[in-house]
Amino acid sequence: MTDVRAPEADLFEPAAGEPGAPPPGPGPANPGTFGLTDWLKWGWRQLTSMRIALILLFLLALGSVPGSVLPQQGTNPAGVQQYFTSHKTLAPLLNHLGLFNVFAAPWFAAIYLLLFASLVGCVVPRTFRLAGSARTLPPRAPRFLTRLPHSAEYVTDLPPAQAAEVASNVLNGHGFRLRRPDAASAARDDAGPAPGGDWVSAEKGYLREAGNLLFHLALLGVLVSVALGGLFGYKADRLLVQGTSFADTASALDEIYPGRFVTDADLAPFTMTLNKFDASYIASGAQRGQPSSFDAQVTYTERPGAAARTDRIEVNRPLSIDGAKVYLIGHGYAPVFKVTDARGQVVYNQPTPFISGASGNFLSQGVVKVSGAQPEQLGFTGVFVPTAVDVGGTLESVFPAADNPVVSLIAYAGNLGMNSGPSQSVYYLDTSGMKQLTASPQVLQPGQSLKLPDGQGSITFSGYVPWVSLTITHDPGQVPALVCGIAALAGLVLSFMIRRRRVFVRARPGAHGAGYRNTVVQVGGLARTDASGSFEAEFAALAAELRSAHDQAAAPAAAADRQHEEE
Amino acid sequence: MLRRRRRAVVVAAAALVGVLVVVVLVTVWPGGSSATSEVDGNASAVLYTAGHRPAAPDFTATTLTGSKLNFASYRGKVVVVNFWGSWCVPCRSEASTLADLAIQYQRAGVSFLGVDVRDNTASAQAFVQSFGVSYPSVNDASSAVTQDFSSAVPIAATPTTLVVDRTGHIAGAVFGALTYPELNTILTSVTAEGGVSR
Repeated sequence: MTDVRAPEADLFEPAAGEPGAPPPGPGPANPGTFGLTDWLKWGWRQLTSMRIALILLFLLALGSVPGSVLPQQGTNPAGVQQYFTSHKTLAPLLNHLGLFNVFAAPWFAAIYLLLFASLVGCVVPRTFRLAGSARTLPPRAPRFLTRLPHSAEYVTDLPPAQAAEVASNVLNGHGFRLRRPDAASAARDDAGPAPGGDWVSAEKGYLREAGNLLFHLALLGVLVSVALGGLFGYKADRLLVQGTSFADTASALDEIYPGRFVTDADLAPFTMTLNKFDASYIASGAQRGQPSSFDAQVTYTERPGAAARTDRIEVNRPLSIDGAKVYLIGHGYAPVFKVTDARGQVVYNQPTPFISGASGNFLSQGVVKVSGAQPEQLGFTGVFVPTAVDVGGTLESVFPAADNPVVSLIAYAGNLGMNSGPSQSVYYLDTSGMKQLTASPQVLQPGQSLKLPDGQGSITFSGYVPWVSLTITHDPGQVPALVCGIAALAGLVLSFMIRRRRVFVRARPGAHGAGYRNTVVQVGGLARTDASGSFEAEFAALAAELRSAHDQAAAPAAAADRQHEEE
Repeated sequence: MLRRRRRAVVVAAAALVGVLVVVVLVTVWPGGSSATSEVDGNASAVLYTAGHRPAAPDFTATTLTGSKLNFASYRGKVVVVNFWGSWCVPCRSEASTLADLAIQYQRAGVSFLGVDVRDNTASAQAFVQSFGVSYPSVNDASSAVTQDFSSAVPIAATPTTLVVDRTGHIAGAVFGALTYPELNTILTSVTAEGGVSR
């Protein structure tokens, strides 16, 4: 799957040229007997081929495109609703294809399950083959070593068996895996055209297969880690106003996306208070209005009854609590409103988070629902302007910090529609059962009040506090995925850096017979890739070392010989 | 060589089958357990069978009127714990039913306790007033009390109503807005038990 050099045709692969290899494609050897099992085998071979894996990977990428182009049910249900109203004929068709919930659609599941099957089906057999090839012995030494890409030949005084023995020791010292002739091959050698002699086969660079193996196993590990994260991890969002607390429990989270095996009891049982949030912005120059820092100061307890600790959360500096990570992902303003109803009773007094829209500088919108006001419920739609400037009758925000904060409110009275029916968004006011009390938006500065007509009460803009949006994630697959990723990279580097190379040494009795002083030693070398020339140097050095070892081993024998002659 | 290849294919196929079995199990594994039974054929209202009742946590909190409340002081009584918020639409629709049941079961010795979740005191008191709620509520703006209960019973959303038996164990639950028959059935069954039932 990863080895694009077609290992089947590789000289180094023991499987090459295997007679039992299945024929490619559904072309049966004997037509008419291509049964169900053959079709299944063929299908399996196709599925696990690299081509199909790549096609599936491409389909997976293609299939996630609608997920980012069209609004999705899981993340943006309001957007889906809107799409349905604006595209009356197209939307039901797209819905039928599951395009509003792409990642849960059956066809999407089919793609990734097939991809997973393809990867497993490819990687597992390959793992076995790599494990096998990492264990194999080098092949027998070829008969004529001078035909190999690298070769050397010299004469030594040692007899062939001893010469081969010396060569083994040298090669062994260099970490080669060795093979010496057995009875069968010795017999075959003697029967050949250039009979007799002794040989050594040596091979090095098995770490390459180990690296390849590591890469494939790590790839499986990555898949398992991702599955682990999907099954046992979760992600949740929570908006937290400065000065308030929340507990990490399902009903206290604004959104929660739990993994398949995650129950409410698996959430990290921490509580957190936002003590203070500071945002600073660049005040002048071309970058004016760009944020320079965000800093949320929080107090948290890891579990009920534990000691409270204080820490900070900044952008890209999450807080780790009991296996969960808390990220700071956004912030905004929550103007504080105090509402008094017709009876003079305070029926609302709290910071109300407003959400900044697409227009910059934190021009934020929100609603106030006073469900407890009597005799009629009250509602307000408002805009919070952090640094307000009047531009031709409309308020605009010219800076994201709250340098000149104002709110602009429209008041309504009537039925909020909250006494029955489905749940409501806290950011949307249903005015269908209400009448507008103020003809135009009323602008208030901090401390100012708006008296509602007909003695319906009043609303005071007391001030504002910041809020932050936090994302809480727990991904048990993250660390294993990182480890596996590093291992995969290490394996890949190993398999690229290390080359398998073979060195053969053959020692034959010289042309003058099986006497001393005329044993012919042939040394041959072969590297898997010839692209890099470093093996040439390595081979030359090895050949020289072998020769000097032979000379050295022969020297005492020769000396003894000479002595013998002198006597 | 051929044998090794065949073995590898078998192993790969086995791995794939294993993965598929896991996927199928994960997809179709039935939720819930025999520890609970449905009330009135409604999956959102359950009775916990004796012996499988999770213990309710002990907690101390402040009521909306500012006094301290220790949940352990309710031991020996059947308590209905209702998680609510003035912002929550289904809470408003169930509020008068709960207020009625509180009066109905007062003589049977059943206490009611509200847990006001993610709310503000001014809005909460306006809610209590407009629905004529006579029983106390504790302030749970931080959801800490909810979290305490979550380790016993999954409280996924507001409203949730739990019925705690005389031994301090959770005997019944209604997830979502409750109806009169649901809570009435649970309370009839739990109040009929003796004090030692677990």
